[in-house]
Amino acid sequence: MTQPFHTGLYEVDADVPSLHGSRCEACGATFFPPMAIGCAACGSEALVAVELRATGELFTFATVHLHRGKDIEAPFTVGEIVLDDGPLVRALMTTNDGFAIGDRVTAEWVVVGTSDDGDDIVEPRFARQP
Amino acid sequence: MKPLRDLRPVFVIGIGFHRYQAPSDVPYTLLGVTAVREALADAGIAWTDVEAAYTGTATTAMGMSRLMYRHLGSTGIPMAQVENASASGSTAVRQAAIDVASGLHDVVVATGVDKPLSFTSPHRAAGVRDLVGNRAVPFTHFALLANRYMHDHGATVEDFARVAVKNSANGAGNPYAQRQRALTIDEVLAPPLISGSLTKWQCCPVGEGAASVIVASEDAIERLGIDRRRAVRIAASVACSERVYGKENFDAALTGETVGRAYEQAGITADDLDVVEVHDAFTVEELLYVEALGLTAPGGAAAALAAGDFDIGGRVAVSPSGGLLSMGHPIGPTGTGQIGEITRQLRGEAGVRQQPGARTGLAHMVGVGAVCVVHILTTGD
Repeated sequence: MTQPFHTGLYEVDADVPSLHGSRCEACGATFFPPMAIGCAACGSEALVAVELRATGELFTFATVHLHRGKDIEAPFTVGEIVLDDGPLVRALMTTNDGFAIGDRVTAEWVVVGTSDDGDDIVEPRFARQP
Repeated sequence: MKPLRDLRPVFVIGIGFHRYQAPSDVPYTLLGVTAVREALADAGIAWTDVEAAYTGTATTAMGMSRLMYRHLGSTGIPMAQVENASASGSTAVRQAAIDVASGLHDVVVATGVDKPLSFTSPHRAAGVRDLVGNRAVPFTHFALLANRYMHDHGATVEDFARVAVKNSANGAGNPYAQRQRALTIDEVLAPPLISGSLTKWQCCPVGEGAASVIVASEDAIERLGIDRRRAVRIAASVACSERVYGKENFDAALTGETVGRAYEQAGITADDLDVVEVHDAFTVEELLYVEALGLTAPGGAAAALAAGDFDIGGRVAVSPSGGLLSMGHPIGPTGTGQIGEITRQLRGEAGVRQQPGARTGLAHMVGVGAVCVVHILTTGD
């Protein structure tokens, strides 16, 4: 069994990670994280759930060297990825080395902890496409 | 719809500060009253002449105005807090200016004051979660921007460091600055790295302090016998909020949009600016914003900075106060403090920080959300 590090952003039983997004049926804007209440581009309430492929182009990245939070130990690398399905998303990268802006990247499951029940806790992190 | 310039003219008549500093036991009430007293003395008016009061604040406490202003005497005037994240102080000045421009009041004070007691997140409050969460703090937001800027424009870490070198030299001449030591490029770049290419000296200190600005109408200037030559006109006051910009950096896009409207309302262009204060919380921001302001072409900021264009005495002085990087960023005071610095510069009273012949200045802040507030000030004559 695996459990998600986040709730509501992806399903861990998928072999390949994909992301829960939203699309506005009025103006076509696509969002991640998923948007409710009203569309941030046009205000329409016609927001529908869409599944976004966790694949795209690395727009920028930065390695965090000092981090005070207890949720993760530095160093780790944060990326901004322009998904092929539209939105610019921020996510962690699988490693701290070997990335260049413009790289084709795709998400894979990474175990980030263990639950009280002994389950793996996983999240999608982005790696260079082979 | 009319711009500020077409309403009653609004002038800055008094400025005052409490030094920006590391968090201490000094209560916010004393920080704020120190700045207001200095602003009253600067204007040469009494507290009883002030008809309304705003407090720019984001991190201290609710309902804090009256507990502070009462130490000047409880005159019963209207008071309110103005919270707009990093742009709180700028927005307080804008509210004060609107009060005077509309004819509602003749003399209004806007005081930015904060202590770093309570930082809250609107995203957390809204239950908005993304994949990185708390693992990407502001340092990383700007480290991401810096890396992209280097990629787009071939800039180097030295280019970013020169922003901190310049602004630390400016801050060294400012008795109200939190950081008052001029740094070398080697000091700025010295390890440890915090996030990406950012080092400590490329990130602003967030401490405490206060900055107060008194604005008034021409009627009040006449009636109170204020020296007109030291009154500085607010030629434009513009506030915008973020739209959906796609992958374009929203801080820069929002700045460009806000500044464009401000130039139009003031009837000036970027070439007319002599002195500018921008939201340089991180070194990369100054390069982005001087380009968004049109002071250089896109990608031209690093070369212009290295050539001395943005030094005091250069083409246009950028962050002569030391900016957020050296004067500091105590949140509420930062925006009011920028108006204070521009006013001092346009009066020709900035001493060692004086930009020669300064007649037109611009103050720029962005705030989480995101919002952007820009003021253009001109010599009163």
